[in-house]
Amino acid sequence: MNGAMVRTGRLLRHEALRLIAVGCILLFAILPLLTLAFHVTGDDWRYILKDDSFAEAVGNSLIYTTASALITTVLALVSACLLHTANLKRKNLYVILLTLGMLVPTISVGLGLRILFGTNGFLDLLFGAEIEVRGFPGLILGSVMTSFPATFLILYDALHYEDKGPYDAASIMGISRLSTFFRLTIPYLRIALISAFFACFTLVFSDYGMPMEIAGKVKTLPMYLYDQFMSSFQYGRGSIAGFVLLIPSVISFVFDLVFRDQSVSEKQKRLIETERGFSSAAAAALIVLCAALFLPQLAFISLSFTKAFPNDLHFTFDHIVGIFSNTHGVGLTAYIRNSLLLSVLTAACGTAFAYLLGYLSVRKPGRMGKAVDLLALSTIAIPGLVLGIGYIFLFRGTKGAFYGTILILIVVNIFHFLGSPYLLAKNCLNKINSEYEVIGETLGISRGKIIMHVLIPGSVSTLVEMFSYFFLNSMITISAVAFLCTYDNQPLSILITTYEKNSNYEMQSVISLIILFLNVAARVIFTSVMAVLNRKGEKEAEGGIGLSRHEFDFLTYLEKHGKGQYSQRKLADDLTISLSNAARLVHDLADRDYINLLADDGMEISEKGLKALEPYRVRKAIILAAGFGQRLAPVTLDTPKPLVKVNGVRIIDTLLDALYGKGITNITIVRGYKKEQFDQLLEKYPTLHFIDNPEFNLANNISSAVQAIDLIDRCYICEADLYITNPDVINKYEYASNYLGAKVSETDDWCFKKHNGYAAGYQLGGTDCYQAFGISYWNGEDSEKLKSDLRKVYASRGGKENLWEQVPLKIMRKNYKLEIRKCHKSDILEIDNFIELIAADPSYANYPGYEEYSGR
Amino acid sequence: MAEEKPAVIIRCEHIHKKFKFKTVLEDISFEVRRGEFLSLLGPSGCGKTTILRMLIGIEKPTSGKIFKDGAEITETAPKDRNIGIVFQNYSLFPNMDVYHNISYALQSRKLSRDEIDRRVKEIVETVDLGEHIFKKPKQLSGGQQQRVAIARTLVLNPDIILFDEPMSALDAEIKVILRQQLKEIQKKLQITMIYVTHDQEEAFAMSDRIMVLNDLQIAQLDTPYNIYHHPADAFVRHFVVDHLNRKVKSIEDSIKEDRG
Repeated sequence: MNGAMVRTGRLLRHEALRLIAVGCILLFAILPLLTLAFHVTGDDWRYILKDDSFAEAVGNSLIYTTASALITTVLALVSACLLHTANLKRKNLYVILLTLGMLVPTISVGLGLRILFGTNGFLDLLFGAEIEVRGFPGLILGSVMTSFPATFLILYDALHYEDKGPYDAASIMGISRLSTFFRLTIPYLRIALISAFFACFTLVFSDYGMPMEIAGKVKTLPMYLYDQFMSSFQYGRGSIAGFVLLIPSVISFVFDLVFRDQSVSEKQKRLIETERGFSSAAAAALIVLCAALFLPQLAFISLSFTKAFPNDLHFTFDHIVGIFSNTHGVGLTAYIRNSLLLSVLTAACGTAFAYLLGYLSVRKPGRMGKAVDLLALSTIAIPGLVLGIGYIFLFRGTKGAFYGTILILIVVNIFHFLGSPYLLAKNCLNKINSEYEVIGETLGISRGKIIMHVLIPGSVSTLVEMFSYFFLNSMITISAVAFLCTYDNQPLSILITTYEKNSNYEMQSVISLIILFLNVAARVIFTSVMAVLNRKGEKEAEGGIGLSRHEFDFLTYLEKHGKGQYSQRKLADDLTISLSNAARLVHDLADRDYINLLADDGMEISEKGLKALEPYRVRKAIILAAGFGQRLAPVTLDTPKPLVKVNGVRIIDTLLDALYGKGITNITIVRGYKKEQFDQLLEKYPTLHFIDNPEFNLANNISSAVQAIDLIDRCYICEADLYITNPDVINKYEYASNYLGAKVSETDDWCFKKHNGYAAGYQLGGTDCYQAFGISYWNGEDSEKLKSDLRKVYASRGGKENLWEQVPLKIMRKNYKLEIRKCHKSDILEIDNFIELIAADPSYANYPGYEEYSGR
Repeated sequence: MAEEKPAVIIRCEHIHKKFKFKTVLEDISFEVRRGEFLSLLGPSGCGKTTILRMLIGIEKPTSGKIFKDGAEITETAPKDRNIGIVFQNYSLFPNMDVYHNISYALQSRKLSRDEIDRRVKEIVETVDLGEHIFKKPKQLSGGQQQRVAIARTLVLNPDIILFDEPMSALDAEIKVILRQQLKEIQKKLQITMIYVTHDQEEAFAMSDRIMVLNDLQIAQLDTPYNIYHHPADAFVRHFVVDHLNRKVKSIEDSIKEDRG
């Protein structure tokens, strides 16, 4: 019974949260509209229906909005298709350039056009082309420019979800590109096109920033509304205008609601194989379009740096400097602060709220999810202008507490821009596995914790995108905020309208430029954050943490032995693992596509498997060959020991051949004694590098290691006098840092012991130990340690007397976990004295002077 | 000890389940024995997943009672039932590595860090994931992910683990290995497992007993042997026996054809 109560309580809590969310949207988005209705009287209706200027405004708005929405949709369609199908590099860059207009207020675009055209406009000054742009031409041109980015994005995005199969089929059947465009692309985009047209229409219809600059004598509906509110104080008539303004957005909203594809399909990648000619033509067209769209921005940027347009065209920083110092009583910094504060707070609170709404509508049990969803989406339909005046009516009473503070600006912005970020959040949360909460319930993990630890980490990039949307829009908006801001909290964008009134082009330009600059900076920050996040995700997906030891052994084994038949028994034996482990490894690796399974126990390593091994590839080898080789005198009196021939082969050649054989060609030899003789090696091994150790006869071999210290990184460090009989003591890949050794029961040579599984201690002679062969591998992490430790020891008192390998094996042993890589004693021939040399190559028995040396 | 507890771990009495427009289960009663591997087998939409969701507690029967170890749990919250669940796609927490996927539930229970560490390590050994504890789910194969999902429930010492068609998304070849693996874990831990599937072969390959569901009701609940040799009704004969026979026959035929 108790359980039942807890459960009911929890359900109630869900519903309570939903109720609060629904209440918020009703209060801050829907109610303001309804209050407008209360201010409309019968007189207002009668007046407005007879008012010629109202009819004219509606007519004008419809004309230029329809014209520009048509043009924009076609233009956006063509450019989206061009960009999508052409084989271009850096498509993202095109997208950024084509949508740059989103980063400035629409009023700035109008301003730019005004600077470009007309008497004393740029075009007039440069070409003597005086074009009157104010009025319909300017309205249409400006509307196309301001609404293009959003329209383009809708269509470009839609194209990514299109099924690519039919195109492949069409191209096989030899159907022309133009034909597929009309028979496949357009029908597919039908809904998106209408939706884009509506979106564009709504944007243009309710915008009053751009017309402010460019409409000239043509009155538009938003301007009519603005005038009714701000100059005639006819709130009822203004409200009626507001409702008319609402009509297209409501139609657009209903259309989207009915036709929007609710299923979230995965983006498809289309393999693009287009002719070069088409791609270059597409690129050219797109670049021209980018340039054209950028013209207004260019205009106000230029004006910001022009001394006194149009009389004095010299370059100057005066306007920029001037506006930051005390102009008109208030320094610009205050406005910048207002803008940034408003945008950051809007973005932060808005993102949190939109995410919560997304969560409440798709991830919680209960009935009201649909209601939350519908209400949240409906905010898309509300023009900022209408929302702003609604707020005046509804919240005037809260003066000081809410009205007239920055709080109301934040709230109005959040609800004005809520729709798109909400959709982002909803889609993202929809894609996240719906069972996490259930799992949480069975494991006793609360919903809150699941949100914090699983859902939010899974939607970070969406959250950044949402934040970015809120931020950038808050920076450029003038619609709702214009009615609600006070002298103290006025943001930058509103300041432009102030200067518009007294036709101060320079000031308007500079402010537009600053907004553009701030938004570009913000965009760069958001984009780089996203890039970092994406890269991190990819890295994890690629297996950034790496392979397990068994997987590594298995893959290197396959890589080495190539494609062939491997029974599980053979694998288990060769890799010394259990039979069941071998079976599991095969399946695990095949499942991840690291290996390809073929018929009859056949298998081979895959491309992906090779890629997974790549981090373990041995990058290079450093060979320490500076010493004299005293014990091999007299042979070494005129030849360095590594170059002494044994059975006709130079000793060092056995090592170099083994390295080359495993593809390790980045090899550096540290030489000292009779260094010039080493040049002869270049004939056979052209990729060798040499470093000279001038101290070779003053210090021990640590001095050679220090000479090459900067090169130590994922490399072998080898002695030069090893006569290698088994080239497999060198590997193409190494899993961990290690030292080569052969288990012996007794030795007079340098040796180390095994301690907790790792090499430890280093001494001359020992029993039940590993005879050390001078080949060791250092992975990235240990390379760094080794470098620093070698430097420390070398610089210490008497440090030069050490062998370099004493540093990791003995002196600083605690810093390392050096694995023992086992080899057989016969894999490497020790030639430490003349007797051993004769044993290896009997021809030295008659070497002149040998008797004399051995006698001594 | 297991001997002290009753041999029946779950008892369902007269379970009805009705969704808004549709009845899914009608008067179902059955018992699950301690330590057995029980499969719920039936065509899709027969209500087998609904039974699972009622056992775990995220769905409630419209009427009827569920008992565990003799005590009624019909209304008990999922976390208080001591029953674990493994979903079809495992639902591992994608941003956490294997270790944290397993330890997450323990961390919310205010255990000491050492205690958590000890228990996670123990479980990791049991399901043989020692080499992979720092990997993220994306870096694991399907089989390894399944073991993590099992480990995640095992770490809370559940009395029962439920499986919701955990292999339906996998290749036939890997399925066979995973079946073995699952049986091994069950034998090792002597834990009760209830397994939902629509795959006849799978049910027969793994189960101690199979519950065949059809048309809102239990068609038969018995050992694989008895179901095969003494099908309770025409549906069981058709859905299970004939299906298996057809499969065997088609393999035999193709072998014969090859010879010819």
